[in-house]
Amino acid sequence: MRPVKHTLVVLLSAVLLLLLWQVGSWLLDSQILLPGLGPVFSTLTSIVAEGPFLTNVGATVTRAFQSFLIIVISASILGVLGGNYPLFNAAMQPFVTTLKAVPVMSVILLAFIWFTSGQVPLFSAFLMGFPVMYVQVEMGWRTLDPKLIEMCEIHEIRGWDRLISFTIPSLVPSLVTGARVSLSMVWKVVIAAEVLTVPRWGVGSRMQLSQVQLQTDRVLSWTLVAIALTAVGDLLFEGLVRLGRVAKVAIDKRRAG
Amino acid sequence: MKFDGVSKAYESTIVFDRFSLEIKEGTILSVVGPSGQGKTTLLHLASGLIQPDAGRVVRHPLEEGPVSYLFQEPRLIPSATVFRNVELPLRASEPCATVRAQIANHYLEMVGLSDSRALYPDQLSGGMRQRVAIARSFSHPSRLMLLDEPFQSLDIKLRYTLIEAFLTLWEESPKTTIFVTHDPKEAILLGDAVCCLGDPSGPLLYQTIDTPRKARSITDEQSLALEATLIGALLNA
Repeated sequence: MRPVKHTLVVLLSAVLLLLLWQVGSWLLDSQILLPGLGPVFSTLTSIVAEGPFLTNVGATVTRAFQSFLIIVISASILGVLGGNYPLFNAAMQPFVTTLKAVPVMSVILLAFIWFTSGQVPLFSAFLMGFPVMYVQVEMGWRTLDPKLIEMCEIHEIRGWDRLISFTIPSLVPSLVTGARVSLSMVWKVVIAAEVLTVPRWGVGSRMQLSQVQLQTDRVLSWTLVAIALTAVGDLLFEGLVRLGRVAKVAIDKRRAG
Repeated sequence: MKFDGVSKAYESTIVFDRFSLEIKEGTILSVVGPSGQGKTTLLHLASGLIQPDAGRVVRHPLEEGPVSYLFQEPRLIPSATVFRNVELPLRASEPCATVRAQIANHYLEMVGLSDSRALYPDQLSGGMRQRVAIARSFSHPSRLMLLDEPFQSLDIKLRYTLIEAFLTLWEESPKTTIFVTHDPKEAILLGDAVCCLGDPSGPLLYQTIDTPRKARSITDEQSLALEATLIGALLNA
């Protein structure tokens, strides 16, 4: 009963949001300031039907996926090193603290001086997402249960066996949290960087070009596309995490006979 | 196993000062003593987790090799099944998966957990978790076993059930064992000898128990007399 109630509340809240949008549009009575639901959804339909839609979405997804992958791999390796070697972590601190404090726009503007417009979203998203993942992995490694480490040492559970049975499973919550936060950050930064640097293809570039031509309905339509991309990305991520859990339980059951 | 003139200090606290103690190979020595008098340090020295500042810890040739340790808490790997927790300590010495599975299943059967093989530690009760830990410590191919108050946090009924389970496994494959406990009754039921710590230079009391383990009861006269002596030593420590 509870999940049904929960879903109902979420649905009602979404409907309320759309209603507020529509009421705002009626009150302002301007297609440039805030177009209504109807025109935006018809623009969205035509955008989706246009040829370059998939190319634009594909370019943004590729950039987001690439930077996410680079963040996960590099932050996992460096986070483990930071958790294991306090001196290494101390050396990483100035970078991590600076990256956490620096405004996104500064990173994007600086990156635009150094790189081409297509590379800026990738680089900016990496710089913004990396510290989150690094801190999570480093903390996860540092807080591995010392009593279990002692137990493994005494009972000769070492090397690959310890890594697979104890270390990685203990790090999974930190890895998942870090990856989840980084992923949502990556979408926002990639699209913001595309808006500022306007590469040839990309959801952000389309938003910027629509804004310049005061096509608010197109800006809102591309925004809805961006929201959908984030939602689908989150769903895929959660699905992967769930699949991993189910696979682990199945493997464990088979091993236990 | 022999502690030969062992000294160990933590900053200004002297735990052992030329301390000597001998444990006969293949027997259980029960160690009681007030908190902070070196019971856990004794186990850490025996396991090699720490080294003495002076003196030697000498093992009998039959006690060489890995050590099994039964901690106060079960210390099971939460993401591993009951089976995997018991099978993991075998992997360093037994390359054949079938043999490992046979050994792990044997010990799980001995502690009455055959049906819980595929469960995870958070799906077990406190007593079941400690039984898995007992099975794990026996599956580990060692000749020296160290027990650090493993039954302490359990209710009395469960405590004696687990002691029985432990003894069944121990009788099947006796290993030199140091059993640290706060409870004189437990010490008497399990030990071939009991000793009381409290003086850094040597045990306050050391007494062998001649009555066969199976014939002992916590209510028999000899046990009650020994318990009274142990309590007396503990109060004077």
